[in-house]
Amino acid sequence: MLELRGLSKHFGGVKALDGLDLTVNEGDIFGLIGPNGSGKSTTINLICGVYGVTAGTVHFQGDLMNGKPPHQRLRAGIARTFQNIRLFPNLTVWQNLWVAQNSPRDVSAQGFMPRWFGATRRTREEIAGLLELADLGHKSDELASNLAFGEQRRLEFARAAAARPRLLLLDEPAAGMSRAEIDDLSLRIRRVRDSGVTILLVEHVMELVMGVTEQIVVLNFGHKIAFGTPGEVQRNKDVQAAYLGTSSSESQPLDGSV
Amino acid sequence: MSDFLLEFVEITQTIGDGLFFGTTYALIGIGFSLIFGAMRKLNMTYAAASLAGAYVGLAAFTFVNAPAPVVFLISAFASGLVGGVVYITCFRFIPINNHLAALMASIGALFFIDEIVVHTTDGSPLTFPAMFDDVMFELGPYGIRGDLLFVFAVCIAGTVGLLYVLYRSRLGLATRAVSQQDVAAQLCGIDVHRTNAVTFMLAGLLGGIAGAMTAASVGVLSPLITVPLTVKGLIVSVIGGLGSIPGAIVAGLLVGGLENVFLYFRGVNERDMYVLLLLFVFLVFRPNGIFGSAIERD
Repeated sequence: MLELRGLSKHFGGVKALDGLDLTVNEGDIFGLIGPNGSGKSTTINLICGVYGVTAGTVHFQGDLMNGKPPHQRLRAGIARTFQNIRLFPNLTVWQNLWVAQNSPRDVSAQGFMPRWFGATRRTREEIAGLLELADLGHKSDELASNLAFGEQRRLEFARAAAARPRLLLLDEPAAGMSRAEIDDLSLRIRRVRDSGVTILLVEHVMELVMGVTEQIVVLNFGHKIAFGTPGEVQRNKDVQAAYLGTSSSESQPLDGSV
Repeated sequence: MSDFLLEFVEITQTIGDGLFFGTTYALIGIGFSLIFGAMRKLNMTYAAASLAGAYVGLAAFTFVNAPAPVVFLISAFASGLVGGVVYITCFRFIPINNHLAALMASIGALFFIDEIVVHTTDGSPLTFPAMFDDVMFELGPYGIRGDLLFVFAVCIAGTVGLLYVLYRSRLGLATRAVSQQDVAAQLCGIDVHRTNAVTFMLAGLLGGIAGAMTAASVGVLSPLITVPLTVKGLIVSVIGGLGSIPGAIVAGLLVGGLENVFLYFRGVNERDMYVLLLLFVFLVFRPNGIFGSAIERD
């Protein structure tokens, strides 16, 4: 479903990403991990179109995405969340979902007059369902900026899901979360996948990655250094070296028990 | 009636007239704020585009003798169109964080539009149609000019209409989403360029109303109005708090009212001096304006 070929991004002389090949199949929960600065976030930004590529191609469902702006990629079915939360702070929770939910079809596309004002019943029902899933039903008229941190993360997740994507890119969704919140998040991720959405998860928090993903690619300094199931990746010597420095003799297991 | 009472009536009458006319300032201020809120950029052409719209309306009046309401409508839509053109020429292709380039481009366009008007009209003032200018309402000791009341009503309707679009429609929601978080807005499927273009056209529409109403209440349209209107609009949006729409409304009425107070006590020659002094006072003591914290961006 998602095919990256020779994907590269250079910032001046810095090669943030250098020739990444990667295939994500429909229905996967695919992990992308690596130390800080290894090119994970760059990869996400290239896939959703925030950055233009230096070289290489992004294919989504067989279509070339290179050169397409983010809003067109979203309409093609690629949604994402952000590492540093980017909600619309002065819109209510409900409006945050409304913007995301309707934009592909109504706001800036066709449908000029007919459904400009107010939401249709179907829209309301969909948003109510999303609020329910995110446990935010009681906060629907609250401004997004007044939510607690965990609630903001859940709202961002729901907002990405509101666009009804085929592929959901999650950029470090567990950052700053407690153990219980992480378990809750794994559950939500699985639930979204089971509803037919493919997931690419970029994450530092090993508990989440190892628990929820089926395949993992490990990046270091813009290169792919390992690929496999969570178990295989954890045993990989290169991966252990990348995470723990060059000497892997006294290596700790990558199971998040650090 | 005693002298004191007579003077009181006169002052309140003056302030009232000022408040009525202040709604046109509020509209211009809203336009500046709308665009500043969406793009963090000043669109200096705004008042010029508003008057250009009024001139298009005037052309309809001069050549086909269109009735006043039609002239006003044409003014509004023509100004909206000019707003769209200004967006494409001065903002669309300039990198989002290059504020100076956009500012200079829009100042260039301001003079360009102004020159077009001067050359097509030989720079001479032209009569602009008004409505209800022969009506006078008596309210106790007060007299309310019918045309001013009409200007007031139209500007209030324009403001309410804009607020409704901005806070109740999907289009308005998209506009506000872009102004609060443009990256996330794009990744929610919003076409930022198109939304910005619509914002410019909406602002232009309001400006056209303000331009036509200014001309209608003065009775003439002249290229000499461009600069004062630009300055008033900027003063209003700074006093109200750049990017704040409620601020622009309050500041527009404030400036309109105070302007007439200055006029009453100090005469027409000194009036603008005191208005600028008011701006100075705000810049020193309250640089973020009345609703300063209302700027929506993280």
